[in-house]
Amino acid sequence: MRTLVTGANGFLGRYVVSGLLARGHDVRALVRPTAQLEHLEWPASVEIFRADLRSTRELERAFDGIDVLVHLAAGMSAREDLMFAVTVSGTERILDAMARTSCRTLVLASSFSVYDWSAIDGTLDESSPIEPVPEIYERDGYAIAKSWQERITRRMAEAHGWDLTVLRPGFIWGRGHTYLAALGLGVGNLHVVIGPLSRIPITYVENCADLFVLAATDPRARGETFNVVDGEGKRVWTYLNAYRRGTGDRRLRIPLPYSLAFSFVRLAYATFLRGGTKLPHILVPCRFEARHKPLRYSNRRAREILGWRPPLSFAESWSRAYG
Amino acid sequence: MRAALIGAGQIAREHLACLQQLPAVELAAVCDLSPAVAEATAERFGVRSWFTDHRTMLREIQPDVVHVTTPPTSHFRLGMDSLEAGAHVIVEKPATSTLDELTVMAGRARELGRALVEDHNLLFNRAPREIRRLIRSGDFGAVIHVEVMVCLDILGPDGFADPNTPHPSLSLDGGAIADFLPHLASLAYSFVGPHKSAHAVWTKRRSSVLPYDEFRAVVNAERGTAALGFSGSSQPDGFWLRVYGERMQATANLYQTRLTLDGPRPGPSQLRPFLNGLAEGSAVIGAALDGLRSRFGSGPRNYEGLWELLAATYRALGDGSPLPVAAEQVLAVNRLVAALKPAGTTP
Repeated sequence: MRTLVTGANGFLGRYVVSGLLARGHDVRALVRPTAQLEHLEWPASVEIFRADLRSTRELERAFDGIDVLVHLAAGMSAREDLMFAVTVSGTERILDAMARTSCRTLVLASSFSVYDWSAIDGTLDESSPIEPVPEIYERDGYAIAKSWQERITRRMAEAHGWDLTVLRPGFIWGRGHTYLAALGLGVGNLHVVIGPLSRIPITYVENCADLFVLAATDPRARGETFNVVDGEGKRVWTYLNAYRRGTGDRRLRIPLPYSLAFSFVRLAYATFLRGGTKLPHILVPCRFEARHKPLRYSNRRAREILGWRPPLSFAESWSRAYG
Repeated sequence: MRAALIGAGQIAREHLACLQQLPAVELAAVCDLSPAVAEATAERFGVRSWFTDHRTMLREIQPDVVHVTTPPTSHFRLGMDSLEAGAHVIVEKPATSTLDELTVMAGRARELGRALVEDHNLLFNRAPREIRRLIRSGDFGAVIHVEVMVCLDILGPDGFADPNTPHPSLSLDGGAIADFLPHLASLAYSFVGPHKSAHAVWTKRRSSVLPYDEFRAVVNAERGTAALGFSGSSQPDGFWLRVYGERMQATANLYQTRLTLDGPRPGPSQLRPFLNGLAEGSAVIGAALDGLRSRFGSGPRNYEGLWELLAATYRALGDGSPLPVAAEQVLAVNRLVAALKPAGTTP
């Protein structure tokens, strides 16, 4: 099988490429024109296709001989319009190109951020509601872009009769990406830990990549949506302990119960912050919930349909991330 | 009035957010080459319809006003098409890539009896308006000289200097800095009038895809002189305006609401430096609080001038009063922009 991977040299993409190669598949890696690839030590069998999804013409050449598209590329800019341009317009362009080729199968990297966190209680799983309109526009630029990316991909897949698998990872962590927004906020030498007993929907990057490889290669994944988490989620305090052990972070931790913090945010927003157009994320209730709400998580669907188990335990992941 | 917008990028959001608040404006359509961008923008701002082809939009919607907020090299074609469709045109700066194009477009607008307004939004920020008020009142005295210095990091990897996708402004003479020249030129025009001569120096300090990242110019104008500058390396970001009058001097940072005035004050002249210092300190604290308020509140934030300009433009289009940015001003500002361009020089 020959796979086209966008965002192939990204944090997740490099492990997806390795995973596909390890299972004997051919890989064409779509990377940006100026991407540095030497440190990745990819074998010569990996074909490199240099393109920027926002501007490169004739993207359909990237699909020559391709059976499956694994679409991971997304914008990470602080500017909302750029994030949208890279993530959504880039997806539009690569899928328009795909529609002119014989490739009929794709795996999309969506995100937990598409869910309607305010409406979910108990366990967040694939049946949970996604953020509706117009509430989605209260969320941050990343959530808006990922929602639209999934929306247009589903439309295109339906219009062209493609086999689409949507994977929604939680917080992906690994070497160089160990601090998560869900851990709270740092103020000088203090670290305010919001909801220390809340669970964080984490997936170690190699585990996450393993499910992407499985989804790209296993026909049972076609047409399905899977959340990507390594289990029911690690508690904030537990993850933070591991983070401090790994990084040597010695800031003084101030635990702040979720309900107390959220009550303050809600009150502030209802009284004098509503309508604020450039508020810090932590002061907007729906964004606060998307980072900190205490829920449970499950990878039951991937287990039941694909028989997937995260290959690495938390302890093994920790060793690889910090070792 | 039925408003339509072509090009739904970052600045378009500021136009739409303002238009949402104007009572006499109906947001009729938005157009973008990307269907998702067009649809998302329409959905977000409550715009009735969206298009990916501007001619179809002009034909079907027949808007009274078209906002052209695409990259500058497309402004001429889109502006002309909008004028031919019978619409007034509000175009982002720079209005066109060249003065020749602007002359043609302004001429056509005149023939058709339509307005052509370039976004000289910074003139309508609070500080320049306050300085102009002081000038009109006579307190400031005649303006001798104006300095405008923009310090902005345009060398970051995901903006003007993106090495993967060339920024549209790089096709302008002067590259990314040319995108800001109308701001500099409109402020110079506002305080010292049309230029008589200009001398510009364009240089490059750092390695990037930008042709230039530093710019300085000296302008001799009808009512005084101007020193204009842009630095891609000086930090922090700031948009400094300094106006020297016969009786007062004003300093403002247009990226904030800061305005300080130095001038005659009641009391002994020996205390003047002390009193000016107190006044300056209190103005800086006030601006800092304003900045905080605007960050936590709704409204235009850094785009207060744009909101003011659009509101005044729609008022003028509605009641036939003079436009806040007249065609003559647009042409004069762009004659200065053309004189400042680096054509024929190399970095």
